[in-house]
Amino acid sequence: MVIKYRLSVLALSLLSSVYAFAGKPEFELTIRQHLFEPSIIVIPANTKIKLWVHNEDATPEEFESYELNREKVILGGQRSVIFIGPLPPGEYPFFGEFNPKSAQGKIIVE
Amino acid sequence: MLLTSVIIVIREVLEAALLVSILLSLCFQLGIERSWFKWGLLGGIAGSIGLGSQLGYISNWFDGVGQEVIDAGLQIFIYICLLYICVQFINHFYKRHPLTNVLRATLIIIISCAMTREGSEIYIYLSAFQSLPETGVSLYSGSAIGLGIGFSCCALFYYWLLSFSPSRALLVSCALLTMVASGMMLQAGKMLIQADLLPDGQLWDSNSLLPEDGLTGQLLYALAGYEATPAPAQLIMYSLSAACMATVMLLRYNSWRKQKVAEEIS
Repeated sequence: MVIKYRLSVLALSLLSSVYAFAGKPEFELTIRQHLFEPSIIVIPANTKIKLWVHNEDATPEEFESYELNREKVILGGQRSVIFIGPLPPGEYPFFGEFNPKSAQGKIIVE
Repeated sequence: MLLTSVIIVIREVLEAALLVSILLSLCFQLGIERSWFKWGLLGGIAGSIGLGSQLGYISNWFDGVGQEVIDAGLQIFIYICLLYICVQFINHFYKRHPLTNVLRATLIIIISCAMTREGSEIYIYLSAFQSLPETGVSLYSGSAIGLGIGFSCCALFYYWLLSFSPSRALLVSCALLTMVASGMMLQAGKMLIQADLLPDGQLWDSNSLLPEDGLTGQLLYALAGYEATPAPAQLIMYSLSAACMATVMLLRYNSWRKQKVAEEIS
């Protein structure tokens, strides 16, 4: 009974990892010294992606993009997820609303 | 930092303050007492500090999309409350009665929730950057200017609404509240799409016609949730919300009209 349970848990976790792997592509973005690193991210067209934003600064930042229709506050030291797309090919700028002069970047869809 | 603070504060203040000015002026026109305003204001300040200080914790809810879900939830809740309030305003216009506790509580909740959404971001921004040595004065003076501009717009709006006759004010205010409430549903849709709970897409791009980050675009954003590149799901939410609110109010209005005509005949 216990073995069966463990096997099913294992099968489920394997399935979920396969799903995650076959699911949305993931991309990483870091905020450091009020700058986005990398400042340019290339993502595939017509695909929903998961963008992980890690704010390494002590101060918060708001990831904002009019073109992408996204806005999310990421507190200092926090790592947050933002779903983006599916998008047609093109350039989609984004910026940090709290530091708009320095924190700028763009997503290139191709 | 000065200009950034001005822009952040204006953007956040404008939406909630427009809503407050419509509700305050309409209450004045309909002879409804406005003691709810100070409680709503207090609730909004408490809510802003509460949500702002707990945002890190809330963000981790629902697999990391807690921020979006809470924001969407607040906006949908405000929409429902505004729908109720508009019907009550129409009732009040035809048959005046003292402010009931339910109506008072709804008004307080609307103001508190609307302020909490916007104020929490200002709280996060101010509390994080005030400690930095290079920001101090420009941060606060920028915020004060932003606050001043936001309030001035709303004072203008308030007095513009007061210039109408009560029946016209009711019509204009209900139309404006429908726009604000449906705009909130549009923005709730945006948050649910961001959280991957609704499908994304782009119906059109009106940025070349009316840029979303321009002055008119921002004002329209505050008033009607203007979006230059809306997704189909957002437009559906907007249309359904506006149609539902308009229908409910028209039905209410018609039933009062019929009742009045019947009273006049008898």
